[in-house]
Amino acid sequence: MRVAFFLVLTIVGALGATAAAWVGAQPVLLAGALVVAFLGLAGASAAAAVALHAPDDLREPREPHGPSAPAPLPDDGISRPAFGRLWLGALGAFGVLGLVPLISLARKPGRRVITGWRAGVRLVDENAMPIGRDRLVDGGVETVFPQGGVGLPEAAAMLIRIDPELLRVVGESGAAADGYVAFSKICTHAGCPVALYRHASHELYCPCHQSRFDVLRGAKNISGPAPRPLPQLALDVDAQGYLIARGDFGAPVGPDDWDRVS
Amino acid sequence: MIVRRVVRWLDDRLGTNAGARYLLAKIYPDHWSFYLGEFALYFFLTLVATGIWLTFAFDASAQGAYGSVLELADRSHPIGYVIRQIHHWSADCFVAAILVHMGRIFFTGAFRRPRELNWMIGLTMLMLASLTGFTGYSLPGDLLSGTGLRISESIALSVPLVGRWGAAVLNGGDSYPGPLLGQHLYTLHVYLLPVSLGALIGLHLFLLIYQKHTQFERDPKHVVGRRFWPDYLLRTVAVFGSTLAVLALLAALVEINPIEDFGPYQPWIAANGSVPDWYTAFLEGALRIGPASEIHIFGHPIPPLFWPGLVLPTLAFVLLLLWPFIEKWLTRDDATHHVLDLPTQSPLRIAVGGALIFEGILLTLAAADDQTAATLHLRLETLVWVYRILFLVGPFIVGWIGWRIAAERRSRIIESTVYPSEVTTLVRTAEGGFEEEEPQPA
Repeated sequence: MRVAFFLVLTIVGALGATAAAWVGAQPVLLAGALVVAFLGLAGASAAAAVALHAPDDLREPREPHGPSAPAPLPDDGISRPAFGRLWLGALGAFGVLGLVPLISLARKPGRRVITGWRAGVRLVDENAMPIGRDRLVDGGVETVFPQGGVGLPEAAAMLIRIDPELLRVVGESGAAADGYVAFSKICTHAGCPVALYRHASHELYCPCHQSRFDVLRGAKNISGPAPRPLPQLALDVDAQGYLIARGDFGAPVGPDDWDRVS
Repeated sequence: MIVRRVVRWLDDRLGTNAGARYLLAKIYPDHWSFYLGEFALYFFLTLVATGIWLTFAFDASAQGAYGSVLELADRSHPIGYVIRQIHHWSADCFVAAILVHMGRIFFTGAFRRPRELNWMIGLTMLMLASLTGFTGYSLPGDLLSGTGLRISESIALSVPLVGRWGAAVLNGGDSYPGPLLGQHLYTLHVYLLPVSLGALIGLHLFLLIYQKHTQFERDPKHVVGRRFWPDYLLRTVAVFGSTLAVLALLAALVEINPIEDFGPYQPWIAANGSVPDWYTAFLEGALRIGPASEIHIFGHPIPPLFWPGLVLPTLAFVLLLLWPFIEKWLTRDDATHHVLDLPTQSPLRIAVGGALIFEGILLTLAAADDQTAATLHLRLETLVWVYRILFLVGPFIVGWIGWRIAAERRSRIIESTVYPSEVTTLVRTAEGGFEEEEPQPA
């Protein structure tokens, strides 16, 4: 009786789900009908299992799976130990052959980090607009790219405007007029974008693993798992009053690896 | 009628009835904890079924991936929405079910001789399941998963000597993000990893049937339990049905991975509070509390994320993989065990298992250290140091406490247990006297 109830529930649920999908009902209705169908199935089987009152102490012997008795090899000429070794050798030769495709994959590649920054190239924003001297107020930040390289993964830099007097006191080099400084936005720990800036403490902050970098000390890593400072992009202003780079970043961008020998 | 004819047709040609009869009549021990592995199996089957459907809806190209998943996340297409939701929930539950099942095997000593091989197969499947989950999570090309991929690429790059090779295999090129990154993830996720999982599940179940299941019943010479047909089959269908019901319920009520809120991946954008799917969070936590210092060997740097990102999970995996042999070596117990222990019967397992669970939970919590620090008004640096100290000291404390509790309980059980061999049964004879019955084999 109970089994029948649950089976009817299954039929209702399954057909209901079909209908819900057919008419394009809200996902919650479709999924709800599926819940009814599956619960019905589970309920019917559980009720049937209970109704069986089957014994739960049936016994079946466990046969041990041990080593089998060694059988003598038939002396048919091809099973002799010398041949055995040759068979193994033939297999091993195929193993060596199999290494060829693996090694062909394993040619050690280089690592190209394309930043696109050169001396004289203009800073542009995400919309490829060049950035003038009056772009940011004190404490303002902007993600910048080299002109012609918007969206290059390793090119992104954080442009920050800081009180020039403060920069003069700490002796920050690489700053352009009006207190503009720029650092790579790619964290030296795991390559996440160092996307947050706290003006009160002049710190860049990585949202992935919470490394902090002191902008007034050349974006030195002061807390968290980053092993070295964010590379600086030295800035200048061109004749038209737009910000330009004085060259590429002062250090390699992104996380280090074994073959990056500085 | 039709079923009967098909069965006879098959039997005529292949002689299948003898084997089928044997399999249907087989006895399986029954205990609630023996169903945990079945949950994992049913999550896997759900993943395969929903996943096959999803391959027809998903655009694997780098430009199209995000858009095609966005369409699946759209509630006005209920079929795609529900199937994708069930798929993702099932992946999260799959890893959880494997872990709980593994805990049962570990704490009851079911991995002991002769089942060491099946333990190692199971552990390999745990790793494959996590990798399958991570590659699937990375496919949509949303901001959250893209950031996770970038971190993984950095971890691959951090390996001494072969780091660039690993990163290049992942990228399909010598720069990030490589042109073949998405294609490689797709091949891994829909083909290589799930097919390997399927093959290992087959082997796992074959060994289970061949070696017969362990049991709590103290009769090592027999399997004590229920017949497969119809008792056990009904029970396992009930498990299957409830698994699917829970998944459908989750899909209906809780939206998982709302990529429409995250936006597409752009390498220069990241948001606060980025955390991965739960089973990879321990790695994220390890990266957060890991060291910052880069050591140099002959001028070659070893980046700091190599230690928490690769060495730590590898050590944990190897420790667990070899645990049957480590325990054998520590306890000098190489006997065949078909009868399970209660968890408290082994202080060693309680101590080691407890310490590992503690580390897992701690590292997972550490993956949210920024939110925790903000909520508790702590300095993040303070919290990181608390986690670091707990990571180094905690497992020993937890292990020691676990050992003490288990050892005490064990000694109490031993004191109060009356062994079956000490029980004598008197049988009244026809003459009116009493005779001692032969003791039953324990």
